[in-house]
Amino acid sequence: MTGVLAIEAKGLFKAFDGKPAVRGIDLAVPEGSIYGILGPNGAGKTTTLRMLLGIIDPDEGRRTLLGHERPLEAAKIVGYLPEERGLYPAMHTRDAIAFMGALRGLPLEVGRKRAEILLRENGLADYVEKPIKSLSKGMAQTIQLFGTIVHKPRLVVLDEPFSGLDAINQGRLEHLIREEAASGTTVIFSTHVISHAERLCERIAIIAGGQIRFEGLVAEARDRLRPQVRLRTRAADGAWRSALPAGASADNGYWEFELPRQGVEPLLRALIDGGAGIEELSIERPGLHDAFVTIAGEAAAREMEQSQGGLGVAA
Amino acid sequence: MMSLFDAAWVIARRDFIATVYSRSFILFLLVPLVVFGAAFAAGTMAERNELSASQPVVAVIADSATVQALNAARQRLVDGMTERSFPKLQAVQPAENVAVQARRLLADEQGGYSAVFSGTLDQPTLTGPSKVEETVTRRLQLVVDMARRSAALERSGAAPPQVAIQRVVTQQAAGNLQMIRRTIAQTSQTLIFGVTVLLATLLLSNLAEEKSNKVIEVLAAAVPLDAVFLGKLVAMLGISLVGLSLWGGMLGLGYLFFQVLQNWVHLPDAGPAVGWPVFFLLVFLYYAANYMLLGALFLGIGGQASNIREIQTLSMPVTMLQVFVFLLAMSVVGDEGGAMYWTAYILPFSSPLSMVAHAAISPSLWPHLLALAWQVLWIVIVIRASSRLFRATVLKSGPGGAFFSLGTLFRAKAE
Repeated sequence: MTGVLAIEAKGLFKAFDGKPAVRGIDLAVPEGSIYGILGPNGAGKTTTLRMLLGIIDPDEGRRTLLGHERPLEAAKIVGYLPEERGLYPAMHTRDAIAFMGALRGLPLEVGRKRAEILLRENGLADYVEKPIKSLSKGMAQTIQLFGTIVHKPRLVVLDEPFSGLDAINQGRLEHLIREEAASGTTVIFSTHVISHAERLCERIAIIAGGQIRFEGLVAEARDRLRPQVRLRTRAADGAWRSALPAGASADNGYWEFELPRQGVEPLLRALIDGGAGIEELSIERPGLHDAFVTIAGEAAAREMEQSQGGLGVAA
Repeated sequence: MMSLFDAAWVIARRDFIATVYSRSFILFLLVPLVVFGAAFAAGTMAERNELSASQPVVAVIADSATVQALNAARQRLVDGMTERSFPKLQAVQPAENVAVQARRLLADEQGGYSAVFSGTLDQPTLTGPSKVEETVTRRLQLVVDMARRSAALERSGAAPPQVAIQRVVTQQAAGNLQMIRRTIAQTSQTLIFGVTVLLATLLLSNLAEEKSNKVIEVLAAAVPLDAVFLGKLVAMLGISLVGLSLWGGMLGLGYLFFQVLQNWVHLPDAGPAVGWPVFFLLVFLYYAANYMLLGALFLGIGGQASNIREIQTLSMPVTMLQVFVFLLAMSVVGDEGGAMYWTAYILPFSSPLSMVAHAAISPSLWPHLLALAWQVLWIVIVIRASSRLFRATVLKSGPGGAFFSLGTLFRAKAE
């Protein structure tokens, strides 16, 4: 990997009450990228993010945040949305956003003006003077996200940003993340939903059991699995069967197997020459979910599915 | 990164505005009025009760001349002392059997007599239970002696005419001045103690809001925890000063109102040793130091509590600590040495209260510079220790970093 790194971590280790939560994590997040951290509950994602931000100190290892070894030194150019959202209930939305900016060195008046712009641009102009306690959970989360980016940081760290949001707000958040990245901001987030990571991220890290199991491009994660071939033939038997790889399995009249390394052309030729009589043939590229299952293991994938209550995935 | 003070200012401003503009702040302002009102009412009632309950009444079974002589002697003594210093005398017509009459009077609940005097001035008898008798006997002895001397002098015709003491008024008497300064010292200590006690629970529960709202995570990621603690303390100090200004203003207005009524407005001639202006400044500085020291400690202790019940449990030992510190400082007012004296002055938590008393009694100013520097050092130590404890136990982080890093106080690096 080349280019300037927004985050670099080497050998981060953290134990709570003698029990390791994170065991030697290395991370390299390129500046300007959208980076996802995936993993089941208790994998160590939040602990990793908190160590990167300096909320807690690692027992071992070191990290740099936008070139700073002490993360708080970069506080003015970093935004952070924690997993457990934190806002003062009596504060008005504009003041809450401005306060979060002020914590990062943005003058209060400037923060108030930017808060109004953010609210207006996102169709929330009516909420400027509303106290936080009167907002829905999703709306409060949106306000906190505005507070995270109001000071125009170079790096935004989002811990489970999609959790608790309805589909509309999830879409809005995806849009905001893309906008931030388009303006050159580095975005790193953990997510419960692999599809978000798949849609948004260029690079990901898969964490399980406090360790990184995979770190790299999303495409590289997918490439860990061969494309899947699904084949239906008129002939039940014949010379074409020798073209099928050893792991091929038959199910409901279909053959399923990994695409051989030689590629699709030699396969097709062998099937046609062997008299298979191809009725249907499809080649599917594996999704990130499949890659995750392969990398993190079945148990981790099941845990994520359970915590999400459905398909995909919990970070 | 913002400097520690800039970051603390952001926290302080938020806390100050959030508190001062809240409804509960009005209740906070009313607390001293309610407390003092209740104390005044209780005091008045207690005094009234004490007057009627604690002054013994002695039935006097004697002829009218004896009764008259006793009453006159008692009145002369009361004029020089107080009404409550002597038992009340109530004349009762003698019956045939005085001993039986005395016992009947003592048994009569409605009469409420503590003892019965009978006989003459030359052969007096006091009948009553041993518990009250001793006190009443000694006081009544004075009355009888006075009555007998007056009667003897009158009989001999040698009674001198009464003379009035001629008064020569001076600016001050050393003994008097010392007494006034001690009073000023102890009043200032009590005032500072009282206001700090009022704020103790607020301080204990101060971090609970951030913990329950999960805002602490946002704060800890953006600014040093030292700044969070310092900001909260400064905010609470500001809040208490708003309260003090209001209460002080009301008290001052009341004082002026009564003095104007009497056409006399000035501070007492006998003031604190350092003079009133410097004294007021020192009271303010020591109040702030006392508040910041105890506040940082309470904030640190309160930060460990995770719910209201735990905060309430912590309130009692914290109040006891405050009372201990207050009593220690009070006990050495006017002392000039000894283990207690030095403990009270050197112990950081009792130092502000001890030094405020010192300002009232001694005119030297250099010990105050030394004491304030000592107290500021301890404020930094306690804030740092509290924030590290919070980091280690609540955020479950390691100790991290040096205990002192002056760089973090002033760093304002441009990014």
